[in-house]
Amino acid sequence: MSVQRLCRPRDGLDGLVALPTRRDFLALAAALLTSSAASASATRVAAIDWGMLETALAIGVVPVAATELIQFRKIAVEPAVPEDVADLGLRGTPNYELLRIVAPDLILISGFYEYQRASLERIAPVSSLPVYEAGRPPYPLAEASMLALGDRLGRAADAARYVAETRDEIEARRGALKHVATRPAFIISLGDSRHFRAFGADSMFGDVLERLGIVNAWTDGTSYSAAAPVGLEALARVPDASIVMVAPLPPEVRRTLPANALWNALPAVREGRVAVLDPINHFGGLPSARRLARLLAGAFAPQAGNG
Amino acid sequence: MVERASLPIGLWGAMGLLATLLFMQQVGLQWPAASAGPTGLGQVIFFYSVLPRAAVALLAGAALALAGLLLQRILRNPLAEPSTLGISAGAQLAMATATIHAPLLMEYSPGLVAFVGGIAAVALILSLTWRRGLEPVSVVLAGMMVALTANAASAALILANGEYLFSLFIWGGGSLVQQSWYPALTIAWRLVFGFAAAVLLLRPLAILGLDDASARNLGVSLHATRFLIIALAVWMATTVAAEIGIIGFVGLAAPALAALSGARSLKQKLVAAPVIGAILLWLTDGLVQLASGPGGERIPTGAATALLGGPLLLWLLPRLRMFEWPSLAASTSSGRRVSRPWVLVILIGIGALVAAVVGLLVGKGPAGWSIASGTVMTDLAQWRAPRIAVAAAAGGLLGAAGVVIQRVTSNPLASPEVLGVGTGAGAGLAAVLLLAGMPGLAWQLTGSAIGALAVLAAILILGARGNLGPERLLFAGIALNALCSAVLTAVIALGNVQSYVLLRWLSGSTSEAGAVHALVGFAALLVLSTPLLVLGRWLEVLPLGDATARALGLPVRAARTTLVVIAALASAFAAMFVGPLSFIGLIAPHLARLLGLGRARQHLVGSILLGALLMIVSDWLSRMAAFPYQLPVGLFASLLGGPYLIYLLGKGVQRHG
Repeated sequence: MSVQRLCRPRDGLDGLVALPTRRDFLALAAALLTSSAASASATRVAAIDWGMLETALAIGVVPVAATELIQFRKIAVEPAVPEDVADLGLRGTPNYELLRIVAPDLILISGFYEYQRASLERIAPVSSLPVYEAGRPPYPLAEASMLALGDRLGRAADAARYVAETRDEIEARRGALKHVATRPAFIISLGDSRHFRAFGADSMFGDVLERLGIVNAWTDGTSYSAAAPVGLEALARVPDASIVMVAPLPPEVRRTLPANALWNALPAVREGRVAVLDPINHFGGLPSARRLARLLAGAFAPQAGNG
Repeated sequence: MVERASLPIGLWGAMGLLATLLFMQQVGLQWPAASAGPTGLGQVIFFYSVLPRAAVALLAGAALALAGLLLQRILRNPLAEPSTLGISAGAQLAMATATIHAPLLMEYSPGLVAFVGGIAAVALILSLTWRRGLEPVSVVLAGMMVALTANAASAALILANGEYLFSLFIWGGGSLVQQSWYPALTIAWRLVFGFAAAVLLLRPLAILGLDDASARNLGVSLHATRFLIIALAVWMATTVAAEIGIIGFVGLAAPALAALSGARSLKQKLVAAPVIGAILLWLTDGLVQLASGPGGERIPTGAATALLGGPLLLWLLPRLRMFEWPSLAASTSSGRRVSRPWVLVILIGIGALVAAVVGLLVGKGPAGWSIASGTVMTDLAQWRAPRIAVAAAAGGLLGAAGVVIQRVTSNPLASPEVLGVGTGAGAGLAAVLLLAGMPGLAWQLTGSAIGALAVLAAILILGARGNLGPERLLFAGIALNALCSAVLTAVIALGNVQSYVLLRWLSGSTSEAGAVHALVGFAALLVLSTPLLVLGRWLEVLPLGDATARALGLPVRAARTTLVVIAALASAFAAMFVGPLSFIGLIAPHLARLLGLGRARQHLVGSILLGALLMIVSDWLSRMAAFPYQLPVGLFASLLGGPYLIYLLGKGVQRHG
């Protein structure tokens, strides 16, 4: 690599010189330019918060950048994130330099990431819409924040449609489950084979459960959506409750849980009232709520799940 | 290991009685359900949850105490135990790695994974300190550094793999919740085996408690026996770690308390220590259950033992007998001196500047490596410059603190991390987070400062009792370090929003650095290092020993106190910005000395500049290694420092002169 090449400024993103992959870089610069030219009127959004990432995708806005996409595709799964969305790295420490190069017009965060606001505001205006607030059911807030985001991004109609569709879908599933899911249910995630995290009324999981007409068996307090870690014996407090576990399960659980005497003695386990759901974002927006409703319906009434 | 018997056996009887009463209360709560439950569920809870939990508390306490006793005996080190030797941290790193990269291994044999991690940590520590004859202070310091590096690596892994966060949080807290007899039986038969082996090895154990020469004369196959017993202790400790998680302090406190209670011979201690360990853990767990509510236990038992054990350890410190080892208080004369030291200092300064410029210009973008220039450079500089500045300031502060501490304690292995001031800042931060939910930056900084200063005050008070001798100062720091780490573990184990803030701080990130941070950092560096330059004579004279220093008219005690306060403040500021980073404060002063900067002022300035250089490089690596994902700075600081530490310890820092 010659010295001149290192120092010669390039056109495009002037001054930023790619060393080993100049061709790729130019292609990318061109892609960035054309994509921004194609949708010149549209706001280019970056999402730090996963719930906001879901919400934006659901109303048809593909963010230019978002965080921890490798994990998102594994754990939140839906909606699918297009391959060309830039990965900003960990949610806790997003890569500001990369975000600056991507140069969005608006950055979406949530209360979790308020400490990043000062840094983020140096790049673009920051929007934080409340969904998770201690003691408040998040579903109505998720609806409100989707509508607000729709307004802000000129997608009000899409947002209104998605909110209505989700509401209808949950209503329909509630009807389908009416005679199938009559017992209360715990909705939990397992920490190890001895402890779980219980999702309460101020979690999206708990809120959707109630909206499907299923009583949440966890009635005790939570600390920010969930109580954790709780010993499995707490599941015995509501003997006729079903147990819904949200994946991923820790690796050792598959071997140790069947050997757990207390687990095996739980009525739900003896009577086969235990379901394992595919991974769902714990702090998601409406798309997560919808995914949960579908998976739950599928678990309780397999024939209703396909609807 | 202790001077006199001062704890009556009656005390243990009372504590055991209290633990029994707490247990009976649990039984009383569960028994009605157990005898009258229509589903039989109450019975199952009683027989598979309440009873095995008590059994595990007793067995794990005994196993940890026995492991601690064996390690302390074999290493002739009253501070040896699973956490101070890095065994727990090694086991945690191995288990975190296996959970993420080899889940099948974790599914079938978590115990084996933990053992491999623990034994690797011990092997590393022993090989590092071998040439120093396994000197207690070196062993514990090497253990602490192995633990710090392993913890930094675990934190990076945990942060990058959100799906297993919860599992690893629980494990780190150490919970005794039980639902089957499997963990109790697993620990029980290791305990029986370990106890039998210890009894069989009674004679070699007793002899190995003497010095190597006597042991060899008496015909003990020294190394084979040593390794066998160490492996046995690690096996017991990592079994407990794999089954219930991290339980600190029992292994450390129980043998010492046994000795304080009048157990003199090894035979007596082999019985007394496990009994005391069992009572300690059972009582702690009883209190944890008493305080628990329907939403789960507020404090994991493992962290609670540390909260109870930490103060106990500090109380024990002045009562611990000093070692048979030659004192570490040696003059710290350096090998060679350069003829023109200030030219060298300027060269190091230029090196740091070059690193800063490279860090500012060279970086990765979406399309690979690039060198920024023109408008892009000015644009990116507003992100890179504050980070580089904060890293440099923190490195400089640690470098200064390191020089002061090494000179004040006359101990070539001392460093600001050893004082526990960094983790103290973390404990303060944790307290503020718990009290205020999500406090602003100013509150977080206030909390950190108060934590750091509280640790410092504790060290000074403890040290004053022991006349601030070099070993006691270090041990007080190590004890507080362990205590504060336990507080951090307890809060992180809650797995809530505050946990993430702490985990982020712990892994050390310059990510949020802005112009304000950079200014505060450099102001702190300037304000704290200027008086050190003025007081250069103190730094020069103190290592010559108290008598000499007094003869030269130095107010020894006042000088020590002033210097230690400055060093603690410097460590506190550095910790606030970049987490409780390890190694830089240890390495920078050594590098400066090795390069030939022997006199106090040159040593100080050289070390500040080297610290800054190392931190700038660490920060750059943390940004580049996994772009766009940013790794903890602390991890790279450790990885840069680790090999140097191996070199330093392997070379054998001279004990005298």
